Amino acid sequence: MTEVSIEKLTKSYGNARAVNAISMKIAEGEFISLLGPSGCGKTTTLKMIAGFEDVTEGAIRFDGQDVVNTPAEKRDIGMVFQNYALFPHMTVEQNLAFGLEMRKVPKPQMRERIAKVLDMVQLKGYEARYPRQLSGGQQQRVALGRALVIEPKILLLDEPLANLDAKLREEMRVFIRDLQRRVGITTVYVTHDQAEAMTMSDRVVVMFGGRIAQIGSPTDIYERPENHEVAEFVGQVNLVQAKVESVGEGTATVTSPLGDFTLPTKISVKPGNMVSLALRPEAIELSKATEGQPAATVLASYYSGALMDYRLKLDNGDELHAQTFPVNRFAEGDRVALHAPAERFWLVGVSK
Amino acid sequence: MSRPFLTGYCLLIYAFLLAPILVVVGASFNAGAFLTFPPQGLSFRWYITFFNNEVFMRAIRTSLWVAFVTMIISGVIGTMAALFHVLHARRSKDVVRIAMLAPLLLPEVLTAISLLFFVYAIGIGTQNMVGMIIGHVLITLPFVFINVSASLESFDPSWDMAARSLGAPKLVRFRRIMLPMIKSGVIGGCLFAFIISFDIFTISFMLKGVGTSTLPIQLFDYLRTNFTPEAAAVSTVSIVLTLTVVIISEKVLGLRIHRF
Repeated sequence: MTEVSIEKLTKSYGNARAVNAISMKIAEGEFISLLGPSGCGKTTTLKMIAGFEDVTEGAIRFDGQDVVNTPAEKRDIGMVFQNYALFPHMTVEQNLAFGLEMRKVPKPQMRERIAKVLDMVQLKGYEARYPRQLSGGQQQRVALGRALVIEPKILLLDEPLANLDAKLREEMRVFIRDLQRRVGITTVYVTHDQAEAMTMSDRVVVMFGGRIAQIGSPTDIYERPENHEVAEFVGQVNLVQAKVESVGEGTATVTSPLGDFTLPTKISVKPGNMVSLALRPEAIELSKATEGQPAATVLASYYSGALMDYRLKLDNGDELHAQTFPVNRFAEGDRVALHAPAERFWLVGVSK
Repeated sequence: MSRPFLTGYCLLIYAFLLAPILVVVGASFNAGAFLTFPPQGLSFRWYITFFNNEVFMRAIRTSLWVAFVTMIISGVIGTMAALFHVLHARRSKDVVRIAMLAPLLLPEVLTAISLLFFVYAIGIGTQNMVGMIIGHVLITLPFVFINVSASLESFDPSWDMAARSLGAPKLVRFRRIMLPMIKSGVIGGCLFAFIISFDIFTISFMLKGVGTSTLPIQLFDYLRTNFTPEAAAVSTVSIVLTLTVVIISEKVLGLRIHRF
């Protein structure tokens, strides 16, 4: 197992900085996701770790050893590509054997290791197939097997599920996560899909414009986003106007159409400031309207099986999105009471 | 367009393409003394004459030898040029392509004359077949280049990256990953080189070594003074040879295997 540490890693193309002095430590056996929109530098970072991109500045250390000047073929990495990149002229077995041949593993041992990995990726009996004779999901598993059979120091995955259909994608998420846990390999996973990053990772690195916006557990990222950009990227956010009443030690007390709250704040506010309160749609609970409760009118409701989505209108005219289990259903035009616990709110910035 | 019309149209095109060949093949079985079609009676006599004609046999051996050498040289240079063009050339990409295709744009006669001046200027002369082979390579190079370039365009760079991540050094990656994937392009290009070289007239005419002759030239010489069906027999053998090369390469080297 290998620990990876990245220090002030930078990649410039001319004057443009694709990756701008990012630093992070990845613990032994940790599953870390680089999450961000396209062009945020996540793939470039992965390619630098793999050795496919030159590093402009900074260091990449595997167990304390700087690998910046080590060519990709000597870094001992396992990589899974978005398009699988299986060798089309080789059978499944030959694809898996390739890396072992490069390491001059003796034949009997090679056969043993391939059999073990094929078992792991549930492809026993497919040894003689060519990649084109396999489904997308099977090809993906061969690619995983090919990367793992060489028992690399780290496993790198570049949007490996992007080409699969929705249902298979969810299955593969769980599959990859379980496999990674079992093997215990340090893993870096690149994706633009927040659900993927959240369900699979120990920690998520959210990147924007070549910089790290936040590193944290999926819970941190989702429930305690560092800034509004992160919050918006990893899920839906409602914004509610609020007024600062008083300011305490790192906290602020505000009044809003949803009630009065005392919240921790990272931004400096003064009493009288107008601010925005952020709130996830599923943090709102709805019940039949009663006197004295913050209330809203149902504009529209959407049923999606497991969940119910509502578009609500507050009395001050602001719109909210709420997501609940379809237990108590409300119809268009109904008056509903809103309940939201204070710990699910966060302050996002002063508005004039 | 209606279907019968389309079918008829296709048949006409095939007729246009194949009729001359059929006439030549038919005329070669002529029993008479003159090159006529339809043949006057059937016989193999002109084939026997041909196979006993030492001059023609020597010419055909020369042609095969020249085509083979040309194919090897063009194959290697053309493949290397295509590799550079597709994988490494950046700003020079267009220049490289135009330069490689230039022999196609020039009239063959001009190429031949310039080359004749050239081989005498640098002292190779036409005492041997070097000058002629240079000419053949020049003419066939674009075909190898185009074929290999086309197959390289569909080479996915992530295959190479995958092989790197698995620990394969550059030469191993070329031999085990890239070459098998572009194999059909290389073989296709080499086949073109062989067949075209076998057929080249003008270049050979100007640059052939003293006292040697290729099949097309020998045939031309022959037809200037004779008009027997032997010429048709020579042509037929030449057609069969070309076809054999194509079919054998396709079966043995497997041009179809790598369609995926």
